[in-house]
Amino acid sequence: MIVFDNVTKRYPGSIDAISNASFTIEQGELVYVTGHSGAGKSTLLKLMAAIERPTNGTVLINNQNVSKLKEATLPFIRRKFGLVFQDHKLLYDRNCFQNVALPLAINGITGQEAAKRIRAALDKVGLLGREKSMPITLSGGEQQRLAIARAVVSKPSILIADEPTGNLDKNYAEDILALFKAFQQVGVTVIIATHDALGRTDADNQTGHEITHHENKVLHLNQGKLINPTNSEVIV
Amino acid sequence: MKTWLIHHMQALRLVLSRFQKNRLGTLLICLSIGVTLALPSVAYIILDNLNGLVSSVKSESQISVFLTEKHDTALVSGIEKILKQNPAIQNVIFVSKQDALEQLTAIDANKSLLDSLQGNPLPDAFFVEPKMLDATSIESLKNELSKIQGVETVLVDGVWIKRLNSLLFLGKKILIILAGLLGFALIAVIGNTIRMQVLTQSAEIELSRLIGATKSFIRRPFLYVGGLYGLGGGALALMITWVMILFFNQTIKAIANSYQSDFNLHFLSFAEILVVLIISTALGWISAYFSLSSSAKRT
Repeated sequence: MIVFDNVTKRYPGSIDAISNASFTIEQGELVYVTGHSGAGKSTLLKLMAAIERPTNGTVLINNQNVSKLKEATLPFIRRKFGLVFQDHKLLYDRNCFQNVALPLAINGITGQEAAKRIRAALDKVGLLGREKSMPITLSGGEQQRLAIARAVVSKPSILIADEPTGNLDKNYAEDILALFKAFQQVGVTVIIATHDALGRTDADNQTGHEITHHENKVLHLNQGKLINPTNSEVIV
Repeated sequence: MKTWLIHHMQALRLVLSRFQKNRLGTLLICLSIGVTLALPSVAYIILDNLNGLVSSVKSESQISVFLTEKHDTALVSGIEKILKQNPAIQNVIFVSKQDALEQLTAIDANKSLLDSLQGNPLPDAFFVEPKMLDATSIESLKNELSKIQGVETVLVDGVWIKRLNSLLFLGKKILIILAGLLGFALIAVIGNTIRMQVLTQSAEIELSRLIGATKSFIRRPFLYVGGLYGLGGGALALMITWVMILFFNQTIKAIANSYQSDFNLHFLSFAEILVVLIISTALGWISAYFSLSSSAKRT
């Protein structure tokens, strides 16, 4: 469970990236974080994943207050999350298998046990046959799926993806979103940041788009402020 | 505990596989460490061997005072008193002619020579260790001693050994400073290498941090790299030193033979070899540590 209470994040020498955000995400929810680029989506995700600490307010992750934790304990909080980054952050000097192995290595899992889990994760994203390939030889969609495999290999309870469909064509994007929904169905909390095109619930309803957001929570950001997507009121 | 062990094994395996990928680079770094460490090692061996040579020579007897053949015990004790009261004298040893003969006959090679002599040709003697070793005070002491009644000859010898001893002491001082400076050079070389590796692996380091790697998880492989560079360098230094000693000994043996000596340079003992390896490994580890602390802010 993630609870934000009046959270403000200000980077030195700039305006508030996030101001007074309050919300609760329950276990097993599928949450979209929407807004224009620069609205603060990435910052919000970083606050959720304990990568950044709030300037003001409290962030609770599974009832642990991130601002009050010691620097040395933050890595252990971060391991609860599976992260899919906007720029994938794949390591191009090693093959797919080794890329997925990194989170397990951090958790001290190696050998047969690790290999089993890595293959299971690659299988889930449809890359089982490519374990020896180098990431550079993969297509954009495959690279994204590899990044997802790496995010889920240590079986995190919360999956956070920053613009996972950003530069993919429509079919690929739908594949990826279906993948995330499958994780949500097995009890994983899934948080996806996405740009406006996918975030507009009205547009989805009008066009009969496959991805319908009204049953899921949407956190819409505008210049660092959280706006209720249905009635467009600022949530305080 | 088990996780801790796994993490260390993991780091070690990772580092070894990286070495394997970049064999030439690793060898070159180890070689530069080895050459740097070989220099003080060779200097140490030469100093240590000379030290052993000098201390094997009896360095107490710097001035030998031989007495005239005809004298009584009263005269001997009188001379001893005078010598002991002299402020320029550190130590006095009396060796009677009988003692001297016994010492000589104890050496087998002298037996046939001594048997051919009738009686004891050796005089009673005092062996005097002066306080000051400079030429003028030795000279004046020699003059003073030769004026004592009952003294036949005064021989100055062995002073060079004391002088060599002080030279060796200076040599040791120079060696310590040299070793210290080269140690700093090594820390700079290894530290810089590690820093470059941190930069080339910044993507991996950044990602690891984001997905929950602890600081020590990220630092561990680099510390291993530093330690292993040091260990490899130390081993190479020992090999270089060994070859140099072999090379030197060919010439040293020829020179020593002409002095009827079997002196040659001995290689380091097992304990000293261990010390070299431990120091070099520690130097590598420390340089990696400093390099990581200084680049930690950026990564």
